[in-house]
Amino acid sequence: MVSKAVETPNAGFDFSNYARNEFFGQRLQGIPKATSTGTTIVGVIFGGGDSGEEPGVCLGADTRATGGPIVADKNCEKIHYLTPQIRCCGAGTAADTEFVTNLISSNLELHALSQGRPARVVTAMTMLKQYLFRYQGHVGAHLVLGGVDVTGPQLFTVHAHGSTDKLPYVTMGSGSLAAMAVFESSFKENMKREEAIALVSRAIRSGIFNDLGSGSNVDVAVITKNGTENLRNYEMPNERGLKSRNYKFRRGTTAWTKESIRSLIVSEEIKSTSGAGKDQGGVEVVPVPTGAGAGGEEGMEIDS
Amino acid sequence: MSGPGSGGAYSFSLTTFSPSGKLVQIEHALAAVSGGTTSLGIKATNGIVLATEKKSPSLLIDPSALEKVAPICPNIGFVYSGMGPDFRILVAKARKIAQAYWKVYGEYPPTKVLVQEVAGVMQKATQSGGVRPYGISLLIAGWDSHRNQSLWQIDPSGSYWAWKASAIGKNMVNAKTFLEKRYNDELSLEDAIHTALLTLKEGFEGQMTEQTIEIGVITVPTPEQMEEKSGERLPPTFRKLSENEVRDYLSL
Amino acid sequence: MENNGGSVVAMIGKDCVAIASDLRLGNQAVGIASNFDKVFPVNDKLYYGLPGLATDVYTLKEHLRFRVNMYRMKEEREITPKTFTHLVSSTLYEKRFGPFFIEPVVAGLPTPTELDPHPKPFISTMDTIGCVTTPKDFAVAGTAADKLYGVAEGLWEPDLEPEDLFETVSQTLLNAVDRDALSGWGAVVHIITHDKVITRTLRARMD
Repeated sequence: MVSKAVETPNAGFDFSNYARNEFFGQRLQGIPKATSTGTTIVGVIFGGGDSGEEPGVCLGADTRATGGPIVADKNCEKIHYLTPQIRCCGAGTAADTEFVTNLISSNLELHALSQGRPARVVTAMTMLKQYLFRYQGHVGAHLVLGGVDVTGPQLFTVHAHGSTDKLPYVTMGSGSLAAMAVFESSFKENMKREEAIALVSRAIRSGIFNDLGSGSNVDVAVITKNGTENLRNYEMPNERGLKSRNYKFRRGTTAWTKESIRSLIVSEEIKSTSGAGKDQGGVEVVPVPTGAGAGGEEGMEIDS
Repeated sequence: MSGPGSGGAYSFSLTTFSPSGKLVQIEHALAAVSGGTTSLGIKATNGIVLATEKKSPSLLIDPSALEKVAPICPNIGFVYSGMGPDFRILVAKARKIAQAYWKVYGEYPPTKVLVQEVAGVMQKATQSGGVRPYGISLLIAGWDSHRNQSLWQIDPSGSYWAWKASAIGKNMVNAKTFLEKRYNDELSLEDAIHTALLTLKEGFEGQMTEQTIEIGVITVPTPEQMEEKSGERLPPTFRKLSENEVRDYLSL
Repeated sequence: MENNGGSVVAMIGKDCVAIASDLRLGNQAVGIASNFDKVFPVNDKLYYGLPGLATDVYTLKEHLRFRVNMYRMKEEREITPKTFTHLVSSTLYEKRFGPFFIEPVVAGLPTPTELDPHPKPFISTMDTIGCVTTPKDFAVAGTAADKLYGVAEGLWEPDLEPEDLFETVSQTLLNAVDRDALSGWGAVVHIITHDKVITRTLRARMD
């Protein structure tokens, strides 16, 4: 069972480097910071009542990932897939939101397969909170969970310590205050689908422009019982301006001292096998002329 | 073939070879398979069909609760002949194996890899103390980007083969002869489904209806279907046919 | 990270990718070696760089070599850049609460297949606990990451031919590394195209 132990690290975490890293943390200038999602994430329930529209959930997220003060990713995806009808927005430690949603997504698929029906949103919420509670907040995932199941549209927030809320409109992440300000002033019950999308993207934009941890684009997902619509980069209010000139270097600018070229083209020479036993021309790689010296010009092509 | 008891002193200890080199318990497991209802699989140019006879021992049993064709992950499905309870254990194990692979590599296992893992599980039951071999043979249909569609069989011993078409269970000898006559390399999935039903019909006891037949199919995806869209999963390549779809095929 | 120093950068070009690293190994401010290569091949058209704590560079490199070899034998195929990224990522997250001090960078050209005859060049990078980003332009990591971000953001442009990509990635690395006390002491660049891999050792400041 060597292969089991080595290739499926699905059972828990490996703490073997923990003591060493604590030592490093004390002796040196600290341990490197993990990528986090400064983030604005939101969700609203819409439809139903006398709106005449299918009840559903609308989720939104910005697309900035940060590592300390550096923008690590300008267009990351924070709306994670759980099941065809359930999505989960993640804030906090980026790796934790990614892996915890993947884990729960995997378990929900097993659940659906063994029960012969799609999993409910409360099931996803319970699995998430029990997992996160077990790690006492050390798995830093702060989530907005939304979806539609047999009981209708459902919307939750899940905190890293395992507490949950069930509300008609929610926000999370460092931009949650900016986004909640928008919701508190403009949320209505039984909104039309288009109203909900507009409100969600306004809330995200509020985070993007007022919170340093949030930025770039607006991602939206709309879930009704008819399915999920992914509106990736629904709004792009921060596109990079075109460079009117380029900084292309002239070939030969960079001086180099050594070059080796590995040809991936295999040329075969076929020889008659009538004299089998000696002088067999098998697969032969054409030797590559290796240029050396400062400033390689063009013409380093190989003949093949 | 040694029948039950003919192995003498070697019939009961699973892990002791008889002097002739046989593990008699494995042969008994194969006997359990040959007692099971017939299942078959046919590989076509654009897919695979798995089909099986679903026989309830009493009229009073609700057939909708029986499930013999099982999806494992979006690209792989199982069908079996032999002991139902053993099958459900292996299905649960196979699904976990598929999910464990997904968690490491971000994609579902290629059919052959899953087959090898499951065959490993079955082999272990022929070499461990305190257990008995699984009393089933499996037919496994899957699609992956490396080998396209492929059809496999695993026996209780843990041996496995890739087939163009195969049958297991009570009527396997006749069914295989029938498939040998009917099979050709240009078969389409639609043709294969009809051939599967025709093969099952041979030696079928009672009425063939959507309640007594179960069908699963692999459909080869188009490049457009394989295009990854953000926030979505690739569409499944394995699915079970609904009772309505089975009825339509039966009426043709 | 700051213990041994070192930086890696990868860039996407037109039907090619580049990955480059410096060659310094230090003990904090003291330079120890100028031949510490941090970029390793996985197969013909897939390379990855491991900037960070040198002891973890070796540990992770051997660990990944084992897992890629097992994959190759079991699956009878070469691992794709995307799958390899997932493999590295799950390897790192396994040590979520005692991480390797490594920020890997992956660069590769996927082999064309029937279903995907024109695959796009692929680069990705991760933090120390395996959070993946797959940029469409460039990926940077190491002690000069801040500087590399700035220079690459200015110099990179789409659809660079292999030789132009070489100049862009080399200048990005060289200039960023010159302002980082913990990186430098030589540099090596790999340009991966469909029919060859060009590896060049750059002439660099040695201070």
